Amino acid sequence: MMDLLTLTVLLLSGISLTLPLLQLTKFKIVSAYILASVLALSLFLIVIYGLNPVQNQLSPSLLASDTLGSFFAAIAIGVTLFVTLASIDYIRTPNTAIYYSLLGFTALGMLLLSFSKDLLMLFVSWELMSFPTYVLAGIDKKRRSNEAAVKYGIIGAMSSAIILYAISIAYGIAGSTQISDVVRALSARHDIIVAVSILLFVAGFGFKMSIVPFHMWIPDAYEGAPATVSTLFAAATKKSGFVAAIRVLLAMTTVYAVTNNTFFTVSNILAVLALLTMTLGNVAALTQRSITRLLAYSSIAQAGYILVGFVPFAVSPLSYDAQIGLTGSLFHILNHAVMKGSAFLVAAAVLLKLRRADLDSYNGLAKRMPIASFTLAISLFALAGIPPLNGFWSKLYIFLSVASGPYLWLAIAGVLNSAFSLGYYAWIVKRMYLDEPEKPDRVDEPLSFVIIFAVLTALIIGIGIFPQVFINFITGAVNSFI
Amino acid sequence: MNTLADFIFVSSILFAVGIYGLIVKRNALRLLFAVEIMINAANINFVAFEQYLWNNAVGQAFVLFSIALAAGEAAVILAIIVVAYRINKDVDVSELSSLGG
Repeated sequence: MMDLLTLTVLLLSGISLTLPLLQLTKFKIVSAYILASVLALSLFLIVIYGLNPVQNQLSPSLLASDTLGSFFAAIAIGVTLFVTLASIDYIRTPNTAIYYSLLGFTALGMLLLSFSKDLLMLFVSWELMSFPTYVLAGIDKKRRSNEAAVKYGIIGAMSSAIILYAISIAYGIAGSTQISDVVRALSARHDIIVAVSILLFVAGFGFKMSIVPFHMWIPDAYEGAPATVSTLFAAATKKSGFVAAIRVLLAMTTVYAVTNNTFFTVSNILAVLALLTMTLGNVAALTQRSITRLLAYSSIAQAGYILVGFVPFAVSPLSYDAQIGLTGSLFHILNHAVMKGSAFLVAAAVLLKLRRADLDSYNGLAKRMPIASFTLAISLFALAGIPPLNGFWSKLYIFLSVASGPYLWLAIAGVLNSAFSLGYYAWIVKRMYLDEPEKPDRVDEPLSFVIIFAVLTALIIGIGIFPQVFINFITGAVNSFI
Repeated sequence: MNTLADFIFVSSILFAVGIYGLIVKRNALRLLFAVEIMINAANINFVAFEQYLWNNAVGQAFVLFSIALAAGEAAVILAIIVVAYRINKDVDVSELSSLGG
């Protein structure tokens, strides 16, 4: 009897490999429906697996069997499912079947990455996740889409080269690529070479996580790529950077401080990176003229909030604050996937119908596309953290976790940033609901988008009203990691 | 006789060359070469550590994976650069500024 993880991996890889064959037939668009149903089935299987993880038979030494992995895998597969459904109306390319096959491979890469517990598996699945996204960013073969693909491709290749070098140093120290062995070996040493390895890991994962010194490709890639693909970047592949960081870096910080110096500790470095990331993201978002760039900068700011939750873990991993912080971070990763996914998909719907992405095209949108406007308003309020929407609860957990320790200033900065971000979120809502549209005609919204919007809005409000269900699952995931 | 330190020295020089190339060069093909140099620096590290310290074949297995992945990466990015050349008649990344970034 196969366990569910093995079954999901085989299912997704089999479908992704065979979908390109449909390119040879007349029924290319069928590939979208096949992929969507397979992803829905995988999502179901992986959630069931996460509730009761058993030893996987695929490769117990390479893949962990824990709730943390299935939590991230469920987010990745769920986002890919929504992106697939939205792409049916949105993507116009001759290579339809190839497009959906690449989406399947990205989901498979993120699935394997979430579970990997060996640096070899982590690197291979990181690349399996990255290659298809380079192509997806440039699927349009137009100037903007291609420019995004070139920039994203070269930066992505650089980040994987940096990760590879970090892994090579870790292997030199540990003599093994099992993450648990690497962590144990690194903890026994306190010299500069270990610090170099950790910093290279931070840089490599930081590019995908959109932490501030490594964020410059994000706005270009998100704006240039087709909006559905940007949804995938913001809501799914970025989360894979976080799961890699949790699996490797947080495990390392539990046992090692970069130097014996009391100022350059891992927690201080994480705190400063978090502060820079959320502040710069929010300030830069304020001046943007296009919705996709604005959402890209807001996505950078949200990465800063998620990073705040890691700080108490780096201070003392077994404390109660660390558990609260990590729970808040994981919860915010889930919430961010839902909120940012729905905001980007609204941008996709508006791009599809009005062919514009500048903020002026959102003036009076509530009269022209009421369902899309309502969804965008809800997701923007959730991003700003207004109760009782889902973003409020995860931010509450994150800021509470740092409020009682030496990092109180980080909690204050986070709350101020949240208030500040409401400025530009509310500004868009004001444009949609209070300003007059240029043309007052009603634009019909595609049925597939309406269904997606309904589900995502229900998720945002539902998670906000019943956060305890999700927090229980996440606490299980956190406990499986600690 | 070569020691482990020699190999580590060569590999860190190669990594630095790669970083230098990524920062200074503006031709997309040269940027790709710089990334490949960085990947090969890591490969030298793996083989040297395996040969001098551990002798457990993990390093060499990792290098085989990384060579295959680097080839795949080069193929994907070269394909994207070919499309860029068809659109712009140029592969200079500083000319790519229609997105304003």
